[in-house]
Amino acid sequence: MLKKILTILLLTLLSAHAVEEGQIKKVMDSKVKKTLQILKNNKLSQKQKENKSVILMDNIFDYRTMSQISLGKKWKTLSTKDKNKFTRAFEKKIKYSYIDKLKLYNNEKVITKELKKLKPNRISLEYAIISKGKTYKVVYLFYKKKNSNQWYIYDVRLIGVSIIQTYRKQFSEFLKTKSFNQLLKSL
Amino acid sequence: MKFLYFCFIATLVILQGCSTTEATPQSNHSQIETTDTTSNLNSKPASDTPVTENNTEELNNEFEDEFSETTTEVNDPLSGYNRAMTTFNDNFFTYALNPVSKAYAAVIPQPVRIGVSNFVHNLNFPIRLVNNLLQLKFMNISDELERFIVNSTVGVAGLMDPATHYMNIPKHNEDFGQTLGHYGAGPGFHLVLPLIGPSNARDAIGLVPDIFLSPLINLHTSPGESIAIYGAVIINKNSLRLGEYESLKKDALDLYPFLKNIYEQKRVSDIAE
Repeated sequence: MLKKILTILLLTLLSAHAVEEGQIKKVMDSKVKKTLQILKNNKLSQKQKENKSVILMDNIFDYRTMSQISLGKKWKTLSTKDKNKFTRAFEKKIKYSYIDKLKLYNNEKVITKELKKLKPNRISLEYAIISKGKTYKVVYLFYKKKNSNQWYIYDVRLIGVSIIQTYRKQFSEFLKTKSFNQLLKSL
Repeated sequence: MKFLYFCFIATLVILQGCSTTEATPQSNHSQIETTDTTSNLNSKPASDTPVTENNTEELNNEFEDEFSETTTEVNDPLSGYNRAMTTFNDNFFTYALNPVSKAYAAVIPQPVRIGVSNFVHNLNFPIRLVNNLLQLKFMNISDELERFIVNSTVGVAGLMDPATHYMNIPKHNEDFGQTLGHYGAGPGFHLVLPLIGPSNARDAIGLVPDIFLSPLINLHTSPGESIAIYGAVIINKNSLRLGEYESLKKDALDLYPFLKNIYEQKRVSDIAE
């Protein structure tokens, strides 16, 4: 009896995980697909394309966590007002950078690769962009928010290069010689 | 008894239903549609929503570990030279290589340029074979062998890449720098090479055996020929990536440390693969 229950319990737990991971993939796939549709749509102006594709990613990107990681230890020393200011500036920076990369889009194919559960609260989802005979690896990194049980993107890795790590490094170098306000301005 | 089982399974199914809704990343499909219509970049940023900073301490520490700087600290005794060389390369790229590549791209149609790029990649097969062999990556070797045979025959001497497009056999780029890294060699000091760009002590040394293995540039070609071949390969390669470097550069607060960091991150990831 107990053995049976345990087996059922185990199986259910396993399948629960599969669905959980399937959800992220499904949502991301649909977002990527929609982004491609937007970029291919000739009826839209460049500006419309940009706005639409950015908004598509808005509710899944956690800009505040990204800002926090990118500032590292400095974050804790900031006032709430400064934190908000920085988050807003950094969000804008990331969006413009993303838009700028989208401009390079030229009918590239995007293929969904594997989803990996790295830790109980970390998931990575890999895509491959095939562009002019070359394949580029893009990995989205998700974390699970503790209080809400929802998954958000906190970093994107392009061909093995972490965007947030790159900013983090730049900011820490910058803050060695210059002030936080100067950093805000340069963003 | 059967009824008991039934109840138990029913409860489990219901519970499972709960966990699936929890896992949905904030959005669902209908939400995507609705947000689509309110498209304005200057509208209220998504990050404006108030966040409670409590309970996140543990998570912060996890992120701090994940992005800890010790893993990406680069030894850089030649920073003065490297910085100067980065400026030189940047200027060379912007004012010499890019205009030439643009003119080349305007004359030669893209499919031909992709063909040339495929051809060069196929020819450099010995580099990948030997380095995968040295790292004992036998699955990669079988992929690479298969790719070379298919692309050299069906792909018309490597001009086309049916192995990728029809057979889904992945490429496994490995060079000697990666082989050294695979066996635990650290990157050494960072080194910006003229015309080639960011590198480090390990990868610069790694270039030497790879050049010996390359059928394109080796000891049998004269220096003049080597430069001509290498130049043509680089122009062709760059003609397929116009605008990428400029776009990347916009993300930099300071170009040299930016490129250095990106290079070192990429190599760590290449070696880990």
